[in-house]
Amino acid sequence: MIIIKKEDNLITIKGHANYRDHDDIVCASVSSIMYTTVNALLRFDSNSINYQDNEFVVSIEVLKKTKETEILIINMLSLFKELSSKYPKNIKIESEE
Amino acid sequence: MQELFNLISLDIQRFAHVKAQGSTHNGRDSEGRRLGAKAADGQVINAGSIIYRQRGTKIYPGKNVGMGKDHTLFALVTGVVKYERCGRDKKKVSVYETK
Repeated sequence: MIIIKKEDNLITIKGHANYRDHDDIVCASVSSIMYTTVNALLRFDSNSINYQDNEFVVSIEVLKKTKETEILIINMLSLFKELSSKYPKNIKIESEE
Repeated sequence: MQELFNLISLDIQRFAHVKAQGSTHNGRDSEGRRLGAKAADGQVINAGSIIYRQRGTKIYPGKNVGMGKDHTLFALVTGVVKYERCGRDKKKVSVYETK
């Protein structure tokens, strides 16, 4: 199961979707949503976030709170929430504010 | 649009437990048609029995042998099967009636 946690300015995403062995659509969705958001944030301001991926956990730390970063982060989290409502066994949002 | 060097490359299987292989468009084949000889040289067969299944005329029909529209060779009489040469580089199969 993929676990997404948001605490203050830090968002972490870890685990595996385990929806299906090959062609895991839940994993592909989470990956696509995350990469789209991260690259959009970097395009707005490459210093707006600190992105780390150590193979086990992906962490996105918001360094600059701007209108763009707020909107993009909220959009990403709402899409993750929608995914978790459709695939509760494969993705879970933890400790929202 | 200016390309930023520090963008993250898309790994669509980042959260996959088992990575999928690259998809391939190959990997299909038709069922084997079981062609070839169905009666051996010197074998006694009944009229109507199939002697040889083939694509085109690898082997030609000889004495007492008929050929279907798919070039299948079959016996017209009951008898012994004989594979023979036909011209310089061709083969034929015949059935000789047993007395």
